[in-house]
Amino acid sequence: MSYLQQIFLLQSVENPASEQADKINRLFNYFNMAAAGMLLLVGFLIVYICIRFRQRKGDSNMPIAGKQNKKLELLMIGGPFLLLVFFFYQTITVMNSVSPSQDPNGKNPDVIITGHQWWWEVDYPKAKVITANEVHLPVGKPLLLEMRSADVIHDWWVPELGNKMDLIPTKKRYLSLNINKPGNYIGACSEFCGAQHAWMRIHVIAETEADFNDWLAANEKSAVAPKDGLAVTGAILFQTKTCANCHRIQGTAAISTAGPDLTHLAARDELLTGLMPNDSANLFKWVDQPQEVKPGAHMPDFKFKKDTVNAIVHYLLQLK
Amino acid sequence: MNESIEIPEPTTHFPGVGVSTDQGLLQWISSVDHKMIGIMYLLMASLFFLLGGIEALLMRIQLAIPNNHFLGPETYNQFFTMHGTTMVFLVGMPAVLGFSVYFSPLMIGANEMAFPRMNSFSLWISFFGGCLLYFSFFAGGAPDVGWFNYAPLNEKNFSISQGIDYYSLGLLLSGIGSVSTAINLIVTILNYRITGLALNRLPLFVWMILVNSFLIIAAFPSLNAALAMLLLDRQFHAHFFNTMNGGSALLWQHLFWIFGHPEVYILILPSFGILSEVFQVFSRKPIFGYAFVAASTVAIALLAFGVWAHHMFAVGMGNTVNAFFSAGSMLIGIPTGVKIFNWLATMYGGKIQFTNSMLFAIAFLFEFTIGGLTGIAFSIVPIDWQLTDTYFVVAHLHYVLIGGTFFGLFAGLFYWFPKMTGRKLDEKAGRWFFWLFVIGFNATFFIQHILGMIGMPRRVYTYPNLPWYGILNFISTAGAFMMGASILLLFYIIVRDARQGKEVGNDPWDAFTLEWYTKSPPPLKNFDEVPAINSPLPLWELKYGNNSNDNGDEKG
Amino acid sequence: MITVMKKDNKTMMKLVVGTEAMFFISLIMAFVYMAYNSGFEPYEVKALDIKTTGIFTVLLLSSSFTFWRAEKNYEKGKIKKLKIWLIATIVLGTVFLFGQGKEYWRLVQDNITLNGSVFGTSFYTLTGFHGFHVFVGLIILMIILIMTFLGDFNKKNSTVVSTVGIYWHFVDVVWIFVFTVVYVLPKFTNI
Repeated sequence: MSYLQQIFLLQSVENPASEQADKINRLFNYFNMAAAGMLLLVGFLIVYICIRFRQRKGDSNMPIAGKQNKKLELLMIGGPFLLLVFFFYQTITVMNSVSPSQDPNGKNPDVIITGHQWWWEVDYPKAKVITANEVHLPVGKPLLLEMRSADVIHDWWVPELGNKMDLIPTKKRYLSLNINKPGNYIGACSEFCGAQHAWMRIHVIAETEADFNDWLAANEKSAVAPKDGLAVTGAILFQTKTCANCHRIQGTAAISTAGPDLTHLAARDELLTGLMPNDSANLFKWVDQPQEVKPGAHMPDFKFKKDTVNAIVHYLLQLK
Repeated sequence: MNESIEIPEPTTHFPGVGVSTDQGLLQWISSVDHKMIGIMYLLMASLFFLLGGIEALLMRIQLAIPNNHFLGPETYNQFFTMHGTTMVFLVGMPAVLGFSVYFSPLMIGANEMAFPRMNSFSLWISFFGGCLLYFSFFAGGAPDVGWFNYAPLNEKNFSISQGIDYYSLGLLLSGIGSVSTAINLIVTILNYRITGLALNRLPLFVWMILVNSFLIIAAFPSLNAALAMLLLDRQFHAHFFNTMNGGSALLWQHLFWIFGHPEVYILILPSFGILSEVFQVFSRKPIFGYAFVAASTVAIALLAFGVWAHHMFAVGMGNTVNAFFSAGSMLIGIPTGVKIFNWLATMYGGKIQFTNSMLFAIAFLFEFTIGGLTGIAFSIVPIDWQLTDTYFVVAHLHYVLIGGTFFGLFAGLFYWFPKMTGRKLDEKAGRWFFWLFVIGFNATFFIQHILGMIGMPRRVYTYPNLPWYGILNFISTAGAFMMGASILLLFYIIVRDARQGKEVGNDPWDAFTLEWYTKSPPPLKNFDEVPAINSPLPLWELKYGNNSNDNGDEKG
Repeated sequence: MITVMKKDNKTMMKLVVGTEAMFFISLIMAFVYMAYNSGFEPYEVKALDIKTTGIFTVLLLSSSFTFWRAEKNYEKGKIKKLKIWLIATIVLGTVFLFGQGKEYWRLVQDNITLNGSVFGTSFYTLTGFHGFHVFVGLIILMIILIMTFLGDFNKKNSTVVSTVGIYWHFVDVVWIFVFTVVYVLPKFTNI
């Protein structure tokens, strides 16, 4: 299926990058072949029958008696039934191989992902790292992702990495993942979760275990201290203007996890869960008028003065 | 105890809509005649079809290019919710019930339905429920969390308007209309058949309606219970679905889909019935495997209650549960899909007449097969795990609902319009409608399979500028407008030909079932007398002698 | 030939009963689901008074018996007896509702309310909808009673009484299930 990969270079179920996605893709391709065959058969029969048995000029309207054919009926039922038996067997095997159980059996998850209205909280419990939206994962080892929700039902789906899994409030769900090769994998929340469901995109950065550990170590550190006067002003404003009521910056007095963690905001590629690239112009737009940028988001329009916004943005963009 | 009923009736049988006389608008509104009520159901379906279609076109404009700002998220979310809710409850149900109440009595030789006043009540409460739902646009906002309205997003603390309360009340009312019509149809079909019309000789349309009516009365209560519980949650702070207070989000899904899955069979079975009749008439041959088609319908109805959780494979119910529902879903595909071969075998060896009705029936075979096959894809759990809640599902559902239900309804429209109005719809103009609609439909929805495969989730008001997303969505939008244009053409044809179409007699198609025995349109009293019945195709015997058309003796 | 249209109210009522039965099955399912999913507080389940409600249950079920007697007397044309047995049915049904009301009042005093807990939500909804169906049934019975007094049932050829009977018996049968699931089973299982 490599030519399909060329056509659809980006995320696609035909571009598997994990063991799970691979197994599902193989099954999907078998299915597509069977389905295409069935459709061609039906199409052929339609065309053939319409041409051969059309009423010709001069034919009377006299109806024709039908003939019973129990054998044909049994064949029509039996054929599809056998195909389905094959696919049911495949269903069971692939299903159990891709998602063994919803019971972690005592294993601790590698990542805990909590869905919020319209962003992803990402916790690495073994390293005590809390971050948001950008998910880094090591390749080549079996991973266990735990899925939770803080409000409504969300759904985690990265097509190249395989099956999706709902995030349900008050419940824990589990996703098994073995990523094959490093890369940037794009996905999206796939359960309607409110106004900004469309901008709850997923960005997985899969890297070698060494790179992943480096990244994790960097994220364990507290936020860097503000480097210049404007950043100091920004840091103070961050606390006094109530940003700290929702956003955590590790190492400061801001400890709330109601909103996305900002400790290493400047290291992320994108803002607002895939809405726009992370740069000063975009961040300014957001802090200045959140409801214009992502209407419905839970961050209100604070109506800050432009200088205030400037200082806060300057401070935040130093938080690598 | 036998009682003959004299229903006091007005004098004209197809009144105009003038308000000044009591034979005009007032007769329509106060009518208890099943034929007029049937037509009014179809008019209701047409009205809401226009509204639902406009919602769809506005959505497609918003989706035509990436990062579009034509509609904001709050508006878009109301539109996609209302589009789905409208098409399922306010278009599909009334259209299906309209044909059911019009033609079931005629095809069994009855002069009226069992409970004419209840028939009228059902129509008007359905219509009122629809109006109540649409009133939400003027009362702060329409419901905006999808037509299946998942919890806890449907709770008060996540709502910015009362839309969901209007949704709940509107659907409760319309649901009462549907259930009472179903009860009416069952009693009519069981008790009002002409002598000699045994159940194993029912015309397939009537048989489908009978089974369908049982489905309705068994499935709607689950939705009604869910809606009642939701209203208690929203208005009285109960804790059914409110996860922050011990409620269960999944309970909503179970209750909804226990209704929702049978609902899709409720929407397709009548079309299967229409198509069974249409294929026979326009192939000049009786259905191949009458007993199988009839028995498989019952199998579908029973199995329909055992597959609902295939809408919940991504919820994490555990692989044992997943396997059970996967098996059931595959199993139900057999009686559903094999009918395609039955209809093909009906055409085989016949004399096919390519009327517009038959064109839609033939197109149905191809489109519904596509929809059915993608349905089987979803029964394969790992495939579902990739493709559920993406545009692949949107493609699937439109192929079965439009390619299936609507093509069947269009076939019925072209077939039965002469009976209902006494005039034919122009074949040539209808052909334009057919091709415009079919091409537009496939352009709109075939592409969406691909969009799903390349990662586009459903119910998104916009999308980023990823490769192929823009161009594919644009083509889909273009197709949608082609469909829209063809529907306008259809409405024009209907309005024009209702007045000026070629007039016809009782039996313009040389058909086989009892509705063609009486005048077109039928008088207020359908029949003064009815011929003897020995098969599902009574007029065949009458006109052509007993040409051994009877496949109805062996009932599988 | 011509179709003779046979009025059939009893089939219609059986279908109504069928659809309402599905409705109650959904409500009972929700009750059981809530019991196992979120769990009920033991003190709430213990607060239910199975003995008193059991007595009222017997009274409700007796009303099925009295209605059956009413039907039989109607078939024999004994209008006076019909009236007496109808009144007995209405009285028994009303007493049942009164008993339910008392139970609700007591529970509310104990702070078990619709919006107080998952148990309250499930309990009041399930028993409440049943009570509502009893109430509707009582209204219908009273209409029948008035019609009897007006002489509408002096002839034996009406199906109305037996049709209403199907509904009334259904209401009682539902209560057997509801009572079992809500009052009886929790005493013997670990909800």
